[in-house]
Amino acid sequence: MDIGLGTYLSLAAILFGIGAVGFLSRRGILLQLMSIEIMLNSVNLTLVAFNRWNPSSHAGQVFAFFVIAVAAAEAAVGLAILISFYRLKKTVESDRADLLKG
Amino acid sequence: MIELLGAWAPLLPVLFVALGGLGLMLVDALVKDKAELAMGTFVVLSLGAGLALGLWNEPVTAASTELFGGWVAADRLSLFLDVAICGGAALAALLGGGYLREHQLERGEFYVLVVFSAFGGMMLGRSSDVLTLFVALETLSLGVYGLVAFRRTSPRAAEGALKYFLLGSFASAILLYGSALLYGATGHTDFVGIAASIEAGDAETRLTILAMALMVVGLAFKVSAVPFHMWTPDAYEGAVTPATTFMAVVVKTAAFGVLLRVLFVVFGDDMLSAPSTGWPRVLGALAAITMLGGNLAAIVQRNVKRMLAYSSIAHAGYILVGIAAAASGPADAGWSETALSSVLYYLLAYTVSNVLAFGSLILAGSHGKEAVSYEDLAGLGRRHPAVALPFVLGILSLMGFPPTAGFFAKYYVLSAAMQMGTGMLWLVLVAVLSSAVGAYYYLRVLVFLFMKQPEPGAVVAVPMRSLYVVSALVLSGYFVLRMGLAPNAYLEFALEAARTFG
Repeated sequence: MDIGLGTYLSLAAILFGIGAVGFLSRRGILLQLMSIEIMLNSVNLTLVAFNRWNPSSHAGQVFAFFVIAVAAAEAAVGLAILISFYRLKKTVESDRADLLKG
Repeated sequence: MIELLGAWAPLLPVLFVALGGLGLMLVDALVKDKAELAMGTFVVLSLGAGLALGLWNEPVTAASTELFGGWVAADRLSLFLDVAICGGAALAALLGGGYLREHQLERGEFYVLVVFSAFGGMMLGRSSDVLTLFVALETLSLGVYGLVAFRRTSPRAAEGALKYFLLGSFASAILLYGSALLYGATGHTDFVGIAASIEAGDAETRLTILAMALMVVGLAFKVSAVPFHMWTPDAYEGAVTPATTFMAVVVKTAAFGVLLRVLFVVFGDDMLSAPSTGWPRVLGALAAITMLGGNLAAIVQRNVKRMLAYSSIAHAGYILVGIAAAASGPADAGWSETALSSVLYYLLAYTVSNVLAFGSLILAGSHGKEAVSYEDLAGLGRRHPAVALPFVLGILSLMGFPPTAGFFAKYYVLSAAMQMGTGMLWLVLVAVLSSAVGAYYYLRVLVFLFMKQPEPGAVVAVPMRSLYVVSALVLSGYFVLRMGLAPNAYLEFALEAARTFG
């Protein structure tokens, strides 16, 4: 099989889809966080693949590093909020976040 | 001062606010009285707004343009957004100074988060590269997630923050995927380079359209347009009210600012922005369901904060009408400056009106009993007319009643849309009908304030006394009336900023 840009892009698109479906269908908040990480990493794969086939600048690879750094910051804030939620509700199911509605 | 900075001068407001935030972190460690931090935050942010105004007529030198490359824009639109963002954040910090002390929640993090989120918003407003856009958007959002979760003992705050965080990160990931595809389609990450590549026909068309759709969806989450608004009422209700005010004014202004830049600079190509087949059509549809959804859902709310959250969704719809109108003129006429300036004027008017409404809600309650439901407001106008007065003014302005800022904001947006001919007529009709629906829930607040009495035996919310909250109300009330009585100066200000898009 010929491995070209299309292969990488398809893999990234499939990963992004898995992440999005996982985020929307899972009810465990940790799993939802992991789904978001999968989505972000599929973006990294897309960026690096595009850069590999268009090497006039390193914009794509630099972008991927920024995404990794921001994803780490996002995970830190997200886990802090999750812990605060767990302390008060004793659960990490997003279905149990039901105080606010209407 | 400006000569001293040389090529860095156009970034002065952002740099000042960032350094001010670092300074506040130091001061936070030293002072015991955290209310002084509120004053410090107010000073830093209003000086930031002042610096942006001071730079208004400064020409941008070639050295600056070269220094910033394609990363950061130096134009009047970014200065305009600086003024709106810093002004709104400064008023929210004042509200925080009163509210947090009254409810014994005072911790310095609140103010530091406000300043750094405002910094993220200012960077977002001037971002001119998809990478800057992403990093600035996350700087803004991560701070605001923290602000929503600020009251650590409240399950509602934790829940609101969790929902906001999950949906916000999901939206960021979608936006990011759009940016990555756009980079792949055009080979550029800076807005001007992307636009030039699309214009020259070098870009892969299908990939560009997919990227545009993903980016518009991601930004629609951030401006809380229906059907991407699910997080808004929950996050607004769960957060402490000054943080809600911050979200309503700062996050929305910054997100709309960058949405304008993305649509008119990146996707300003004739094919993508054709009124009948391009994004103006999509934005018009989004505006219509946002106005209807926001206004209809606001009617059934029993909590005033939630009602104001849905009202902010409805206002996002009116703003989207203006954006759609700006691109709906005849093919060779370019963007409508009238419509763009009406959008910017709307952002200013929306900022001051919301500070006034949320601030009055803060003032109406005190420790032990916050005013949240309509019943809590019953008879307030009779018992405490001085508290009800700013509330009435804020509600009338949000409703769009003359002579307030909100009236002219709606008037300008709708008349700009009318000028675009019959294609926009249906949208104007939807806007007028849905604001008529909106009058019902706004007037309901006034009915409760003046015509109802509290149930016998119910705990009555007693208004708090705070110089901070009162001064925020006086300031925002002044601008609501000033922009309503003499709107021309502000409209001219918005028009000069709108000329950025040429």
